[in-house]
Amino acid sequence: MTSFKKFAVPMVLLIVSASVFAQNARQSPDEFRRMLDRGIKYRTAAELYQALKTEAHGGKQSPPFDQLPDWSGLWTAAGGNTFFDAGPGGIAPKLRPAAAAAVKKGEELAAKGIEYDENLSQCGPPGFPRWLVIPFLREFIVRPEETWLTSETVNNVRRIYTDGRSHPAPEERYPLYYGDSIGFWDGPKLVIHTNQLMTRSMGRQQPDQSDQMETVEIWQKVRAGVMEADVWIYDPALYSEPWYMKRIYNQVPNPEKSVRVQYWNCTENPNNEVYKTPDGSTNYKDLTFSNKDNAKEPKR
Amino acid sequence: MNGNRMTAAVFATAILLAATSAQAHHSSVMFEDKKEVTFEGVVKEFQFTNPHSWLVVNVTNKDGSVTAWGFEAEGPSTLIRNGIRPADLKPGTKLTITGRPMKDGRPGALFVKAVRDDGVEFYPGGRPAPAARP
Repeated sequence: MTSFKKFAVPMVLLIVSASVFAQNARQSPDEFRRMLDRGIKYRTAAELYQALKTEAHGGKQSPPFDQLPDWSGLWTAAGGNTFFDAGPGGIAPKLRPAAAAAVKKGEELAAKGIEYDENLSQCGPPGFPRWLVIPFLREFIVRPEETWLTSETVNNVRRIYTDGRSHPAPEERYPLYYGDSIGFWDGPKLVIHTNQLMTRSMGRQQPDQSDQMETVEIWQKVRAGVMEADVWIYDPALYSEPWYMKRIYNQVPNPEKSVRVQYWNCTENPNNEVYKTPDGSTNYKDLTFSNKDNAKEPKR
Repeated sequence: MNGNRMTAAVFATAILLAATSAQAHHSSVMFEDKKEVTFEGVVKEFQFTNPHSWLVVNVTNKDGSVTAWGFEAEGPSTLIRNGIRPADLKPGTKLTITGRPMKDGRPGALFVKAVRDDGVEFYPGGRPAPAARP
């Protein structure tokens, strides 16, 4: 046991470091820079999307099933770049001053052990683009006219229309948790444009995204068991120039088919109810199993 | 807590931090991040629910009183992926369980590890990586 203690911390640091390195090592700084510049070249996400469509000679809408890739199985997030951390080569997102201040404040609070999730703690949906980075199971349902990118967390579904329709007319638009997504197929790659997003927190102690945010994604299975998404985020209220991130998703081994996505009722267990403490952190409400004689109930 | 059959312990839990730092339903800041407690007890109930599960364990204190401790883990799909099924920890199961206790002193903890009385080990955050060979 003593030797375990002696080596546990450095070993863990080594494992974590190796894991982070492995995630970033999949993309060289030069490749990351090239992909970032690809987004910066265009003023808006819609312009980038149109350029990709032109490169794909218009892409394919509603291709027959035999021309669609096999994305079946269960998947889970396996790392990649994030919204506010530097990517490979230390290339950092260019944030607006308010966003930079919010990131800094969030880091300071986290260092003090103060965290609260304005969305998930209240059983709200993660929304998009946070959906890209949440854990747990995912399924990708591919059909000619529509692809569903789903996650078990609060049963969310992103519907990507690939039947050639446009986004709703401007006068019909209103803020949506997952936005409105249209796409086309470029061979085995699904190219997606998303707009109509909602102003809300991008994650625990992270800045708010604005309703001006639009994104472009390219999804593809790069090899058996590995999916990747190249994502460009345009939000002039958040970033002073578009940000790029690669996200990786691994297939979940499930040889006995014992792992399944089930309905997720966030409020089914009262022991999972939390509240925001006076200092802005998180704590449980009453715990139903707790013996009142022994419990030290918190003041709320 | 007073008089509980706490067998102890305080040491770094970086493996568990890594396993539980994902953006789940809520933060794990209500739990101590560098302390662990270990108890012998009997399973009272396994609440196999989303977004988090709770294994409730009756722990007999030195004075003979019983405290129901709740050990929080991820939801069903994560537990099943990590080899923990509801039937593995049925009510009445005797075990030794380790967790990171709540900071406010209530009898709750983040579920780290359980060893059933037949010696089978359960790690809700995934089995730690084996030690490297010298």
